[in-house]
Amino acid sequence: MTGTLVGAGVLFRFALRRDRLRLPVWLLAGGALVATQSTSNQTFYRTPESLAAYRASAGSNAASIAFSGPPVGLDTVAGTVAFEISSTLVLLTVLMAMFTTVRHTRADEESGRTELLRSTQVGRHAPLAAATLLSVLACGAMAVAIAAGAALTGLAVPGSVLLGAGTASVGLVFVGVTAVCAQLTGVTRGVYGLVGGLLGVAFVVRAVGDVTGNGLSWASPIGWAQATHPWSADRWWPLLLTLAATPLLLLTARRLLDRRDLGAGLLQPRPGAATAPRALSSPLGLAWRLHRAALLAWAMGVALLGFVYGGLAESVETLIGDNPDAQVFLGASSTADLVDAYLGVTFRVTALLVAGYAVSATCRARAEETSGRAEPVLTAGVSRTRWLGSHLTVALAGATTLLALGGLATGISRALVTGDAADVLRLTGAALAHAPGVWVVAGLAAALIGAAPSAAVPAAWSVFGLLLVVTMFAEPFDWPGWISDLSPFAQTPAVPAEAWAVAPLLVLGTLAGVLVAVGLAAFRRRDIETA
Amino acid sequence: MTAVISVSGLVKTFGRARALDGLDLEVRAGEVHGFLGPNGSGKSTTIRVLLGMLRPDAGHVQLLGGDPWRDAVALHRRLAYVPGDVTLWPTISGGEVIDLLSRLRGGTDARRRAELLERFDLDPRKKARTYSKGNRQKVALVAALASDVELLVLDEPTSGLDPIMEATFQACIHEARAEGRTVLLSSHVLAEAEALCDRLSIIRLGRTVQSGTLGELRTLTRTSVTAETVRPVDGLAGLPGVHGLVRSDGRVSFDVDGEHLDLAVRRLTEAGLRSLVSAPPTLEELFLRQYGDELTADDGGRAGSGPA
Ligand SMILES: Nc1ncnc2c1ncn2[C@@H]1O[C@H](COP(=O)(O)OP(=O)(O)OP(=O)(O)O)[C@@H](O)[C@H]1O
Ligand SMILES: [Mg+2]
Repeated sequence: MTGTLVGAGVLFRFALRRDRLRLPVWLLAGGALVATQSTSNQTFYRTPESLAAYRASAGSNAASIAFSGPPVGLDTVAGTVAFEISSTLVLLTVLMAMFTTVRHTRADEESGRTELLRSTQVGRHAPLAAATLLSVLACGAMAVAIAAGAALTGLAVPGSVLLGAGTASVGLVFVGVTAVCAQLTGVTRGVYGLVGGLLGVAFVVRAVGDVTGNGLSWASPIGWAQATHPWSADRWWPLLLTLAATPLLLLTARRLLDRRDLGAGLLQPRPGAATAPRALSSPLGLAWRLHRAALLAWAMGVALLGFVYGGLAESVETLIGDNPDAQVFLGASSTADLVDAYLGVTFRVTALLVAGYAVSATCRARAEETSGRAEPVLTAGVSRTRWLGSHLTVALAGATTLLALGGLATGISRALVTGDAADVLRLTGAALAHAPGVWVVAGLAAALIGAAPSAAVPAAWSVFGLLLVVTMFAEPFDWPGWISDLSPFAQTPAVPAEAWAVAPLLVLGTLAGVLVAVGLAAFRRRDIETA
Repeated sequence: MTAVISVSGLVKTFGRARALDGLDLEVRAGEVHGFLGPNGSGKSTTIRVLLGMLRPDAGHVQLLGGDPWRDAVALHRRLAYVPGDVTLWPTISGGEVIDLLSRLRGGTDARRRAELLERFDLDPRKKARTYSKGNRQKVALVAALASDVELLVLDEPTSGLDPIMEATFQACIHEARAEGRTVLLSSHVLAEAEALCDRLSIIRLGRTVQSGTLGELRTLTRTSVTAETVRPVDGLAGLPGVHGLVRSDGRVSFDVDGEHLDLAVRRLTEAGLRSLVSAPPTLEELFLRQYGDELTADDGGRAGSGPA
């Protein structure tokens, strides 16, 4: 062991201890997701006819290919499992890799804990080595969990192992990506932003590649994992790419670490302004200043997604055109209707993502409070209502803008194909149909922050997680209608496939208003908490 | 004199922990009031109640003639606060923070701001993340001192400042006092409190244990006396209020409670006084004695949540 790695073993054991509850939750989620998908698909697609119908619908649906991956191996039940779950598993594993790596590198460094440790018998590379070792092992454990979940529910073992290994390999690449990003910026939030952005790029590149079939998927590590084709071709060699990329990234991170000071990033923060601009004179101005970077990143992501979704609509037409089975199965009267049905689904997905923004923006207010940054403002002649209201205003207006932007981008890329400029306005409006649903989610988070502050953030994210699960699983798994009806997005009309319905939008809008009012009123009545 | 802050019987609990347990505090207009007490005794909690951030469980609290919970916004326009732990927005520069907070309070005085930046030697262009602890503290101090308010509420404002900045701070507080502002200053730097404060309140376990001018507090505790006399002094040990008597060839030294000083010195004179050194307790001694005694009495029980 070289001098710069002294203490890595101790740190690794310490990190393992700190994560002894977190990691099993991630692993359990991975195993359970596969097992559920496997058992339900074995029930649904028991007959060759149902399998063929599935192949015709899903295998030709651009939206589902864009989300899931290449439609290969759909002639076996195991193949449908790989098709439907691998994308979710990859997201789960990458998030686990990112959070685990950041937690023990940049987050510790930003809080000053690393400095305390490094002042003892701990080498320069030890914290990074311990963190990446833990994350790498976590990915390995995820491979085992996934393989076990599939094999124990009766799927062939080689395919099960391959699905696990492929998923874990994307996790490994992102351990490397996160380790590099953690050297670049000195702020934890910034690392999440960079890694999240790169994950988004990897996802979109793969989606475009898979839908168009032009080989672009090979530019994305997610594409490498899915090129293994578990349970059909059972190819191992694409994993060599990740095995090459990961050590390269880790070595890069190490080199970058050597070039920077403890606590700093490689990207030097620029000096700020000596005096505040006029916009920074009110709580709303401050809230905007605090939220704008995140909102801008989201705006770019949503716009990109919108362009991709809009562009893929053309593929829906060609795919359906090539596939008479699909036309029969979908029973749509015209390709125009099919495109609208597809767009209706994509807007619902966009709305769900934007609800995630709304939750994170609303919860920002709570983070401001517990970090002690609310107090200077609240003791400078700003009322509680005005302070929380400012954050909520930015969250709600920001979310609404994101929806409009997603619709606008979809509309523009669609109009470029159809040549019908009216599509721009029509689709922007269609995306906005989900705004009241997003407001309800944000309102719920606000109500929680007011009335149940210490549980608010985890509770709000749990609600969002449940929304994701309901949206993803309720329909394919035939859950009872009342469960999916709980989602506000089940109430908003799927414009443009469905007609505008004003009543549910009014109801949702009112509900959102009530929730926000509850949050503001409760916030006025309680203590300001600082951690 | 009117009271700018008057608190009586204040109780604040956090779950089962009783952070404030019937605390009293009176701060008069125009004075600099020191607020002292060991770690965890409830200084910051009291201040946060005074600012309307925490809702009191019982007791009477009045600030600038209003109720800090109900009239928070109106009262906050008339005061400025420096928190004990200054956390700032990492990506916003110090200058921007100062401007924001002053604007929220109703306007900046550009000349005063520039003067304070100069005196505290603070670079306003740095992002808050890149400030040292002391410089973060200076941002909050400049923001507070730059605003034209009646009351300054300062929670350990100098905990990260170097000695030169400490002197600057003391000068600023003297000026604030001369301008007729009232200051509530919680501090662990006893020399600072001694130099600045007109009156002091010492609290412990969420209760006020002593309150008054430094002089008044001194008479409540012991003065140490060392004397040389012509003849041996008789009967000192038997006097009320005399402690720790030590004799060594013609010299005596002892501590005596303020109220019994007169009698003890009379005994010394009777024995033919040659030299006399008498030191009033420093605030530090006062403080240490107060807590030293009680610490041994309850065996460090203050670390917990409060008195049972
Ligand atoms: N939000 C809270 N929840 C639970 N207990 C709290 C909370 N805030 C303060 N306390 C407790 O109340 C007591 C008083 O704390 P406070 O911060 O007021 O002390 P302090 O006098 O300011 O101490 P220091 O000199 O260390 O700043 C402590 O025992 C503390 O642990
Ligand atoms: Mg304190």
